[in-house]
Amino acid sequence: MAGSRNYDFLIKLLLIGDSGVGKSCCLLRFSEDSFTPSFITTIGIDFKIRTIELDGKRVKLQIWDTAGQERFRTITTAYYRGAMGILLVYDVTDERSFNNIRTWFSNVEQHATEGVNKILIGNKCDWEEKRVVSTERGQQLADELGIPFMEVSAKSNINVEKAFFSLATDIKKRIMDTARAEEKAGGQGSVVDPSRDSGNMSGKCC
Amino acid sequence: MSSSRFPRNFTPPASPTASYYDISDDDENGYSTITNTSTGRSVKLLYSKSKVYVHPTPSKIDNIPGFVALVQQKPPPSDVPSTPPAVAATLLLAWLPESALGDAYDTYVKVDLIDAEAPPRQSYLVPPPPATVYAPGTSCVGNYAFAVPVSQIYSLLIRPPNFGWWWGSVIINTRAGDSFPALFFHDSECASTIAQSKKRAKANFDPFGEGGALYWGGDEVLRWLRRYVRVEKSEVEPSVYLVEPSQEDLLSFGSKPVTVGRAGESSTSGGAGMDPFTKMFKEARWGFLEKISRVTRFTRRTAEDILDSPKVPLQVRRLLKNPDVVSLQDEFDSARLYLARWAMGIAEQSEKERQQDHQVVWANRDALELEDSAVGEFEILDLESGSTKLDSEKRKPVSLEEWNRWFDPKTGKLAIATNEVKERIFHGGVEPGAARKEIWLWLLEVYPWDSTRDERIALMNSKRDEYVRLKGRWWDDLDRRNNDEYWRDQKNRIEKDVHRTDRGVPIFAGEDIPHPDPGSPFAETGTNAHLEQMKDMLLTYNEYNTDLGYVQGMSDLLAPIYAVLQDDAAAFWAFVGFMERMERNFLRDQTGMRAQLVALDHLVQLMDPKLYAHLESADSTNFFFFFRMLLVWYKREFKWDDVLRLWETMWTNFLSSQFHLFIALAILERHRDVIMDHLKQFDEVLKYINELSTTIELSSTRVRAEALFYKFQRVIEAADRKSGFVPPGEGSCEMRKRRTGSICGESSSSSCAELTSGAASNKGKNVQGRNGEIVPNVSPELWALLNRDIVRAK
Repeated sequence: MAGSRNYDFLIKLLLIGDSGVGKSCCLLRFSEDSFTPSFITTIGIDFKIRTIELDGKRVKLQIWDTAGQERFRTITTAYYRGAMGILLVYDVTDERSFNNIRTWFSNVEQHATEGVNKILIGNKCDWEEKRVVSTERGQQLADELGIPFMEVSAKSNINVEKAFFSLATDIKKRIMDTARAEEKAGGQGSVVDPSRDSGNMSGKCC
Repeated sequence: MSSSRFPRNFTPPASPTASYYDISDDDENGYSTITNTSTGRSVKLLYSKSKVYVHPTPSKIDNIPGFVALVQQKPPPSDVPSTPPAVAATLLLAWLPESALGDAYDTYVKVDLIDAEAPPRQSYLVPPPPATVYAPGTSCVGNYAFAVPVSQIYSLLIRPPNFGWWWGSVIINTRAGDSFPALFFHDSECASTIAQSKKRAKANFDPFGEGGALYWGGDEVLRWLRRYVRVEKSEVEPSVYLVEPSQEDLLSFGSKPVTVGRAGESSTSGGAGMDPFTKMFKEARWGFLEKISRVTRFTRRTAEDILDSPKVPLQVRRLLKNPDVVSLQDEFDSARLYLARWAMGIAEQSEKERQQDHQVVWANRDALELEDSAVGEFEILDLESGSTKLDSEKRKPVSLEEWNRWFDPKTGKLAIATNEVKERIFHGGVEPGAARKEIWLWLLEVYPWDSTRDERIALMNSKRDEYVRLKGRWWDDLDRRNNDEYWRDQKNRIEKDVHRTDRGVPIFAGEDIPHPDPGSPFAETGTNAHLEQMKDMLLTYNEYNTDLGYVQGMSDLLAPIYAVLQDDAAAFWAFVGFMERMERNFLRDQTGMRAQLVALDHLVQLMDPKLYAHLESADSTNFFFFFRMLLVWYKREFKWDDVLRLWETMWTNFLSSQFHLFIALAILERHRDVIMDHLKQFDEVLKYINELSTTIELSSTRVRAEALFYKFQRVIEAADRKSGFVPPGEGSCEMRKRRTGSICGESSSSSCAELTSGAASNKGKNVQGRNGEIVPNVSPELWALLNRDIVRAK
């Protein structure tokens, strides 16, 4: 049935970070290329889809958006498990959201699948006069956590595309490496079969 | 690929051509073959059914009533006399508008009413169906009449009725790949169907047909056809029936692996012996879609027509704009077809919903219809009973004038029973404006129901003082405002949330005053007086309920209250009243949300086990897709005005303090078919439910939820009677007594049901009743749904 689906890889991503840092806005920018200043708060969980092309392969990104407030974490962490990549988002104009990244990171370490790809995202980088977290501090934290870093602006459409592509590229590479390694080891390298891994975000949360 | 879509041994004409009917026949004996419309020759009317409509437009007034009929014409002269022509070739399935029948109308009516298992012995002759044959794709022929040779029918797309929601329909797909317009069976107007249903109900107390589904007009058409031709239900796509399917068709869509042969019968079920189609289906869903398109034979054009129709609801159009779906559509026609069918189903439902909004009686039929209840032998409801049948007077919103009439003019004390007031508001709601400003304060328990006018004046005065005092506690505490990290954090959160709560509502829209805090992220954009009031009230609530504090979602709950009352102190206390029941939604450990999702789980399992099984197979029984709905009481799902109406309904606790879970069930039931037919994974279910946002029709949802509640109540009571356990807990007795006393008005002398803690772990398992019959086990979560006292956070 080759050709009967419209993608070669299915990659599930997850956006996390404090409430109000602009997770939903980043997602809206990436999936629909639009921006709404007075967005509504995210309650519960939702996802959007965009299919991109990477090295001639069609990669379907299913990107999950979560409520930011720590109160809902018991429920949102149920969705960490199925994620292959996680975007940790803070707001460069909000010191607290930056400081909380460590907490978010340790949450990921605790609940997400081992080896999950991560990226640190500083949003609202267009808002220079309100900026309180410098690019250097962002980079420093990323280095410390051992993950890539990028400053973006959903509003001005800066780097949003790049951030998602970069994360997706890393994941695709990891998956293919794993598959190759398994093949070498004589296993059936089936990790990239999208018909098999669908639905694994559906962990019981309660 | 297209060539493989047609059976090889068949050369399809573009559509039933005129030449097909051009067979002359000189035989005057009995009936004759069709020649043309005006020769006066007749065909034999074997069966007919009245009140079958074509719906050319979404508007009800355009519906065309007619007859669907099976007619037989004289066999065409055969070149080889030894092989009689197949009977199917002499039969035509036709649809004719009533207006086109002329003198033959009476004959059609007569044949419709003949109640016989066999075709009538006497031949009823009618003029042949018009030669003008509806040709899909061409501009529509005036009256839509068509006649299609049965031998040309490839499949029937059959959608049984869902009473109160949509009519049952049949779409005929020809071997040429065309589809005729859907025929809608208005069974409630069809004398023969009504008679048949009654007869069946009388004979065996079973209104359901052989398959367990409710008997309807479309069954008749299948029955007629099956007398002459083979009609096979596709197991792959349950709504599709194949007519005289070829081997190839059967292999692809039929129920049995015909290639295996008789010897291999044991392999018809079970994993390893899975038939080739199912296996392939498991491997690739797009393959499945492709197969569907083969069976249904929708033309691409038909699909596009449907998708472009304004009938298609917002969420489907929204979905279609999704770039991913667009690329799917480009890649596979069938994907588009898939969506088309989905869209069509929804469009049809919303259409019905609009039309029947004011016909409240259907809610009873609706409750009757919900199949596969855990209590199968559920008594047939008396359609005249139950309070879902209300005159329109009782569905009118309560005006301030009406409200004031309920009070003693001297003392200002309520002079009628509280329950009467609640019932009235539950069904009718409250008029916007002054009536809401007053009545909401009662519904949110700012005013006690037994208070006098003087008491209320005093109470409101002291509440105003109390609000000022509470607000002053943080307002005047400069140290905290400057140095308390937690407090500042909460303030920021509230600020961010208020600036993105209901900004589309006029009072929250403006940004006409400068922000009081130049350091705020909103300093540049500005604010307005109402947003500032909202922030103050939420910060004051943060102060009032320090254990809970402000949590996201609360701004959604406060905004409508403030917008209606437009008085900060009154709104604050009304909000406090609302939070009494909503507090458990925001607990740190999320136990309150979990408990509600579990209750919903039990409710769906009891009321619709088939749907539940499907959700289970889709890993969706965590019901997480209802999280948002339950957390903020459908605030994001309905339009603003509808939210106000829904909330005041639920605040009454008239049937249950947990009525919001019946709203959830009503929404699920409403989309049951789409969910069961098309949504196979958790993410699909979640997406679909999330995208219902602002597209849900309120009044029918409310009525349906009410009907579901009554049904639930009867199920529980039936289980209660049958289980006959001695009550272990006094509390349960108490609850039942109150419930039966106040809701049903019946005596509470019967024994209480089992309510042990063990019931929870037995969830889903049935127990043996006193007389050995199976009785659904009723968990404490389900019992609690009958309670009218609000559930407070512990």
